[in-house]
Amino acid sequence: MPCWNNDNIYKELMIQVQADLVREKSGVGASVLRKEDDRYMRGQGEFIADIKRPAMQELAFVRSPVAHAFIRGVKKPAGYEDRVFIAADLVGVSPITAISALPGFKRSSQPILATDKICHVGEPIAVCVAQTRAEAEDIAALVELDLEELPAIVDMRAALQPGSLLVHEPWGDNVFLETSVDHGFAAAASGAPIIISKHLRTARQCMSPMEGRGVVAMWEPRLEQLVLHTSTQMPHIVRSGLSECLGLPEDMVRIIAPDVGGGFGYKGILLGEEVCAGYLARHLGHPVRWIEDRREQLTGNANCREHDYELTAYADHDGMLLALDARAIVDAGAYSLYPFSACLEAAQIASILPGPYRMNGYRCITWSAATNKPGILPYRGVARAGVCYAMEVIMDAIAQETGLPPEEVRLRNLVLPSMMPFDNITNKHFDSGDYPEALRRALNAIDMPAWRARQAAATGTVKIGIGLAVFCEQGAHGTSVYAGWGIPMVPGFEQASARLTADGGLELRVGIQSHGQGLETTLAQVAHESLGLPIERIKITHGDTGLTPYSTGTWGSRCMVMAGGAVATACQDLAARIAPIGAHLLQVATDDVTVAHGYVSTGSRHVSIAEVARTWYRRPQDLPDGIAHGGLEVTAGYKAKRDSGTFSYAAHAAVVSVDTETGDIALLDYAICEDGGTLVNPMIVDGQLIGGIAQGIGTALYEAMRFDDNGQPSASTLADYTLPGATEMPRLRIEHMATPSPYTVFGQKGIGEGGAIGPPAAIANAVNDALRPLGVELSALPITPHMVMSALLRARRDTA
Amino acid sequence: MSDMGFTVNGKQDVHMPPARMHLADYLRETLHLTGTHIGCEHGVCGACTLLVDGEPVRSCIMFATACEGRDIRSIEGLETDKVTIALRAAFTSAHALQCGYCTPGMLVTARDIILRLPDADDARIRLELAGNLCRCTGYEGIVRAIRVVLDAKLDIAPPQRRMVPVALPAAAVTPLSPGFPGGQAPIESLEKPKSSKLAAKKGSGLVQHLRITAPRDVLWQAMQDPVLVASCIPGAAITSRDGDRITGEMAVALGPIEGKFIGFAVITYGDFAGTISGEGQDRISKTRLSAQADFTVRPVSTIESLLELNIQYSLRGALAQFARGAVVQAFADEISSIVAQNLQAKLTGGQPIMAAPRLSAMRLFWAVLWRRFINRRK
Amino acid sequence: MKPAPFTWSAAPTLDAACGTMRAGGRAIAGGQSLGPMLNLRIAQPDRLVSIARISALCGVSETADDVTIGACVTHAQIEDGQAPDIGQDILPRVAANIAYRAVRNRGTIGGSLCHADPAADWVTVLLALGAQALTHAPSGSRIIALDGFFTGAFRTNLTPGEVLHAIRIPRLTPDARFGYYKICRKPGEFAHAMAAVFISKNIARVVIGALGTIPLVLMGAEATPDGVEPAFRSRTTMLDEVTQHMQLTAVKRAFARAAA
Repeated sequence: MPCWNNDNIYKELMIQVQADLVREKSGVGASVLRKEDDRYMRGQGEFIADIKRPAMQELAFVRSPVAHAFIRGVKKPAGYEDRVFIAADLVGVSPITAISALPGFKRSSQPILATDKICHVGEPIAVCVAQTRAEAEDIAALVELDLEELPAIVDMRAALQPGSLLVHEPWGDNVFLETSVDHGFAAAASGAPIIISKHLRTARQCMSPMEGRGVVAMWEPRLEQLVLHTSTQMPHIVRSGLSECLGLPEDMVRIIAPDVGGGFGYKGILLGEEVCAGYLARHLGHPVRWIEDRREQLTGNANCREHDYELTAYADHDGMLLALDARAIVDAGAYSLYPFSACLEAAQIASILPGPYRMNGYRCITWSAATNKPGILPYRGVARAGVCYAMEVIMDAIAQETGLPPEEVRLRNLVLPSMMPFDNITNKHFDSGDYPEALRRALNAIDMPAWRARQAAATGTVKIGIGLAVFCEQGAHGTSVYAGWGIPMVPGFEQASARLTADGGLELRVGIQSHGQGLETTLAQVAHESLGLPIERIKITHGDTGLTPYSTGTWGSRCMVMAGGAVATACQDLAARIAPIGAHLLQVATDDVTVAHGYVSTGSRHVSIAEVARTWYRRPQDLPDGIAHGGLEVTAGYKAKRDSGTFSYAAHAAVVSVDTETGDIALLDYAICEDGGTLVNPMIVDGQLIGGIAQGIGTALYEAMRFDDNGQPSASTLADYTLPGATEMPRLRIEHMATPSPYTVFGQKGIGEGGAIGPPAAIANAVNDALRPLGVELSALPITPHMVMSALLRARRDTA
Repeated sequence: MSDMGFTVNGKQDVHMPPARMHLADYLRETLHLTGTHIGCEHGVCGACTLLVDGEPVRSCIMFATACEGRDIRSIEGLETDKVTIALRAAFTSAHALQCGYCTPGMLVTARDIILRLPDADDARIRLELAGNLCRCTGYEGIVRAIRVVLDAKLDIAPPQRRMVPVALPAAAVTPLSPGFPGGQAPIESLEKPKSSKLAAKKGSGLVQHLRITAPRDVLWQAMQDPVLVASCIPGAAITSRDGDRITGEMAVALGPIEGKFIGFAVITYGDFAGTISGEGQDRISKTRLSAQADFTVRPVSTIESLLELNIQYSLRGALAQFARGAVVQAFADEISSIVAQNLQAKLTGGQPIMAAPRLSAMRLFWAVLWRRFINRRK
Repeated sequence: MKPAPFTWSAAPTLDAACGTMRAGGRAIAGGQSLGPMLNLRIAQPDRLVSIARISALCGVSETADDVTIGACVTHAQIEDGQAPDIGQDILPRVAANIAYRAVRNRGTIGGSLCHADPAADWVTVLLALGAQALTHAPSGSRIIALDGFFTGAFRTNLTPGEVLHAIRIPRLTPDARFGYYKICRKPGEFAHAMAAVFISKNIARVVIGALGTIPLVLMGAEATPDGVEPAFRSRTTMLDEVTQHMQLTAVKRAFARAAA
């Protein structure tokens, strides 16, 4: 048996896989392999549950078994009084209040531990402290709850009915916020020959990162500081919120996000558990840890994406959409969660429902309904997965009414490249791109005519359908977008710090948090592009309020645009510090040198940036006074030239087969043509896209957190809440277009969420395309076999 | 347990973990080997997959105590494993990981595929990966990475299998006639949530019409005796009675799921009709149960009457939070049916269900069992 | 999500296991179903007795007429062909489609039957194959035809202190046909519908599983392609039409596989 040298195996395989990737360079545009992979593959990542501290104790929460109740009493078990804490024990702690400045918004007050009322299953009522989690759970099981159960408000439509029971009695209704927009609706709709109405529903989902949330909190007497490690996407926002709830000034709170095992929006939140752990760490005199388990996550913590749409579209016989009238409800659950609030989702629906299409009239009323369910967070493709589904169903309906092919209807209504940049009917500023071309390429990729032929030829029980979806995706929203919503967090200048080390390495510090996106690699690529330092010598520090400049964190597909822009800006500023030193060493004027490729150059003469660093740090005597007194460390702020967001876009085409005897749906082919502008790392972009598609397939076919009439969640394990696995993924064909954004540093656009947006619409349209000849049209997600069979049997009965 | 011992990554370990500590926790908390990740703690997600005696297992549902004498290898112990080294190279090249949380378990499963299924095609790779969830990558890179390593045809020895002894040691087996003889063994654990009630919980409905061979007056009289009715409920006992209000408990077992519901019921009587309503809570799972049974006694003939039961019940808490509620509900229905039969037995002096042949009892269940599946998968 | 406290002992022999179980111990074999229930604290036994290493439970034997598989033989061992097959590769194929490999490496055929999950593959398949449960108790051993073994969802008629020793499965006769079909969206998921069909010269048996309670066994004239539907519908009048339809589809496809 030949003994392979380990390195040989490694090298050979690297060569095989890398052949198709661009490796010549490591700056912007190169598929650089990820710097972070190695530690993860050796089990050396440091996730929240991996952190231990001496004398640390574990927390277990007593959570409500019921959805709606008054608390008459909580009895601590005898002998454990000092290990069980209830609301009254958290002296000086304020509830979480996530407001919105939109007029009419009603505040909810989310207690850290429930005080007098329970508003959803899983709400924390008490917290138990013990040496191990198992022992803490033992104590939790002994805590007795005296609850006066109330009927639960479970369905959002019922919650909005006059006379409904109330989640928050003082409100008088169950509406966090009602919004209304009207852009020339009546005039545009008037006289339309085609009027189509649809009622659509999407399911409540659990975002389900593989790692749950968790907190390790400790009080540092030396620094007089609460140091709280937490699995979060937004450490600085957690610090602000935590500081408010605990009544501690922000300088006494440091938040550290370790390696974070996926987020997708689930970790963009201030948790009551974080507040609780912070309080206990400070007052018990020892560190405490809480690790969310899967049952807590599924049954009691934040959900997402439950929409209800009533749409009426007005079109003409040429398939042109004239006007759209929409009423949308979002089931926002019991509490407005921090920082995104209960109304972000619905407010987004109102502003992005028109999608990539032109229309002359638009009216939309939205309601953010309160129910006895957990609150909601913006999940990857916030609101967009729902609105894309809604709009694309409308496009197919217009095709049906006019007899035009579905692709033709879309091509006629899409914003055209000649119109770019384009301000749409809700004043969204589409920055660039060729939307129709994306659709044409997606159709090409699946070979539409061939599938149409197979569809026509399909006999027997298995039917074939083809579905399309086109959308544009606003990302990297700036100040102007968020200021209007007035939630606790408004992004301003994104910052990055850059420091040259004495031996010529580069340390970058950013306030965003990387949790799978590969930002340790891509931000290094950006810095490499600017300064040319070897990528191995560029280290990214993120996720720590003690070390990094302020940022609202990682959300809204913003990091490559915002933090990428900030890093580029910081590197430029650093270059301006490097230049005079290099010029001195080269004995030329500063104006005569350039800083690039790792060198300060003038003509054919160079001095390395490493030499510049060595001189400034180690041999200051070589520099005259007055040169680079600011040193080789800068913090820079960045805003895009226009901060209304980048607009990446995509067309998805799905081919499905539907077994009409079992309701089983199989994905036969799937194509995407995506334009994310300049791609900093195409390999990582594809990874984001494919991962997003898996989640979109979950939304389309598998994932639903249902609640019974008592507000009980129907799933507490991953056997009940079904996530897509490797066998649920279709063959994917991915095409890229690359229209740079005119407003960002390299022309890059936010692209982290697009994959998740298209699949529900494309797959739902494909299923309906397959079943339409049988008299079936489905109008809710996810499309389950039971739903398909139920509709088919009804149709068979009706025709019989 | 004192002689507890196993090897972890090649080193002998002599700790004595608590019986309830699963292997993943033991490695992570006691040995500080945190490369094994916990994703669900119910054996579905695969994040905690590691090798025991060379075979991938879920360390979150295997107790450390059960590993005595075994060879445990976690991701930390695969540092110099040839296949794992190849997989690491392929994983990074194929962008097979993003957040890295599923990665250690994914590598262990991938390694098993390489060793066990050298001829696997992509579809087989995907099938074998079905027990490892990844929320980031969409699996494409993972499948590609495994493909590359398979195609590289590493020269490696196939895994050694634990062989099954070919002879089943003899045990004295006394043949009985097929089927279980009637009257011999009690039907175990035919108990469950007590039908008692509070107020307006929305619940699941169940209607039963039971023909009882007894005149209406006899049946009606029986229905007015709460002690008699309670005695028909398997596992139930009345602990106190205060007028219409009855306090009691009921032991429940559904396989390994055991509970003890404690609660109260209020009975009101009308004209050959009444209502039992109540509420209880399981001391173990803290699941709450509310139920209301409206009953009417109608004559069928001089010797036969009809007991119409209209039962509404709801569960809140851990036992309600499964998509497989059909099983719990089927079970609750079964209880109702047993109650009816016991009632019949009491009234006619026959054998209560506890000693009745199981199969005939099951046949009676059919009529009521099916309705429960309506709520299965909407 | 950690289990409530319990004590653990590993039984060295069958009789020792019976003794501990008689004293209130709950048997655990591979623990692939019990483990999650313990972690979720919906099962809280005081005392667990591991039977996984009792050699008497871990072997296999065969005769010309049947195959006997020890209760603690794992699904993976059966999948890998380490237990004798009854013919047509049936047992390995069924085993290979249970849950996931890592679960199959620990989960046992006997554990699956004793757990008696109504949606479990072995429950439906072995009922159709006419298997017998061989049990052991100090008071005597029994052979129980499997359709008398299950008493309901998650329940069997094993008496306290009685251990399932092995499963005896008749070999397929040359005239025998077997088909199994389960409807589920993804591997490892609880089946939405499942049916197994067994037809030989003398026996026709259709077993319909995943019903929430023990599978429905149809025999003789009711176990024919034409006979199943009326028989099934008449016993499931209150079942919703979608579930009925899916179950009948599973039956049809199981028949088709048996004929193939």
